[in-house]
Amino acid sequence: MLEINNINAFYGRIQILWDVSLKVNEGEIVALIGANGAGKSTLINTVTGLLRSTSGSMTFMGKRIDRLAPHVISELGMSHIPEGRKLFTEMSVRENLELGAYPKSAWKTKKETQEHVYEIFPRLKEREKQLARTLSGGEQQMLAMGRGLMSKPKLCIIDEPSNGLAPLVVLEVFKIIQSLRDQGITILLIEQNVRHTLEISDRAYVLENGRIVMEGDCATCLASEHIKKAYLGL
Amino acid sequence: MDLIINIVLGGLLIGGIYSLISMGLSLQYGVAKVLNIAHGEFLMVGAFITYWLQQNGVDPLLTIVVGGPLLFLVGFILYRTVFTSIRLKAPNTGVYESNSLLAAFGLYFIVQNIAVLIWGTTPQRFSYLASSVTILGEDFNENRLVATAFAVAIGAAFYLFLERTRIGKAIRAAAQDPLTAGLMGVDINFVLALCFGFGAAMAGLAGVLISICYPITTTMGLGYTVIAIVVVTLGGLGSIPGSFIGGFILGIIGTGVTYWEPGLAVASYYVIFIILLLVRPKGIMGK
Repeated sequence: MLEINNINAFYGRIQILWDVSLKVNEGEIVALIGANGAGKSTLINTVTGLLRSTSGSMTFMGKRIDRLAPHVISELGMSHIPEGRKLFTEMSVRENLELGAYPKSAWKTKKETQEHVYEIFPRLKEREKQLARTLSGGEQQMLAMGRGLMSKPKLCIIDEPSNGLAPLVVLEVFKIIQSLRDQGITILLIEQNVRHTLEISDRAYVLENGRIVMEGDCATCLASEHIKKAYLGL
Repeated sequence: MDLIINIVLGGLLIGGIYSLISMGLSLQYGVAKVLNIAHGEFLMVGAFITYWLQQNGVDPLLTIVVGGPLLFLVGFILYRTVFTSIRLKAPNTGVYESNSLLAAFGLYFIVQNIAVLIWGTTPQRFSYLASSVTILGEDFNENRLVATAFAVAIGAAFYLFLERTRIGKAIRAAAQDPLTAGLMGVDINFVLALCFGFGAAMAGLAGVLISICYPITTTMGLGYTVIAIVVVTLGGLGSIPGSFIGGFILGIIGTGVTYWEPGLAVASYYVIFIILLLVRPKGIMGK
């Protein structure tokens, strides 16, 4: 579904990504883990079209996307649920959801999609008319995820969803991510909460200093000495 | 008492036009981040198109249908060509804002010089709906009532457009957070160009409405740009309802000061502007 081959990317003159390759197959949850500053955000910005790679190629749904604008990539069926939620705080819950359905094809069916999102997140329906900034942290994450689903994506890139949430809420968020996969949405999950992430994912990539240093199924990763030491504190 | 009624009504009757220009600037400066010093020049062009068509036998109010879309197109194309390239070449928003301010200054001189070549500098006027109407014992020209009604109707229609439509919501989202709006699939360059175009159209429409009430000159633009900058600050940058209300507030204040000492009207705008910057820089409706 998503295939990244040997991409290199720079911020100014500083090279951030070095020959990064990554693959997400349909129906998978793929985890991308790495410490702060490892280049995770840069990789995501490159995939979503906010940043241009200098070499390498990316295809999504069989189409080259490495020179496409962000709005074109999102219309192909890729949804990015950004780190820090990035809600439109001065707009209502419902309007935030509507904006998620901005691509023309999604706009036509936004009523039904919205009902579906309310089934997944009943709390959002209760808060429909409230301004997004009045929601609690957990509700804001739910809204960000709901908004990301409104475009009826084939691939959801979920960036640091557990950031700043209470442990119980984190569990709920991870459960929902699993249920999204069960509904046929492919997921690329970027997380610092390595243990939970590896538990619900199918495969994982570990990014360090802009390079992929490990990839494989999650059981292997969880068993690896390097992961245990560097990310699980064991 | 009569004096107060006169000032308030007179202020409201000019305020609608101030609201319209300011909503236009709010879109250009608040959303597209171009402090468009040439904003009033679009108004002047709108006024002179009306004057020119009126001299050729066209009903001035009909020019709304011509002037609005025409200036929208000019603004849209201008943003797509000049300001989009400035934005894409700028390393950060600060550089973009200052470079586009400089470009707008250039635009101001270009438009005004061309207008002076075509229409000269003598004030022009024509008579339209000039009979007087009495409200609460005060006499006002019918054309001022019509102009205010049109300004309010255009403002309200635009507000509904922003609240109810897909593109309107995209504009509001882009005003809050352009990058995230882009994530939602909003084509930011297109939406910002739309905002600039709508801004130019509103200035043009205000020009049409001004020309049916007051004498017009090719050098009148800058004064209205100043008014728009003050109102946008008063109402809260990027807040369309704020600009709408702010226009009426400034209209009343301006009319009051003019009654007392006409020479101090513009000075009083700047006093309000400076006080606002010191006391409440985000304006009355600012977030």
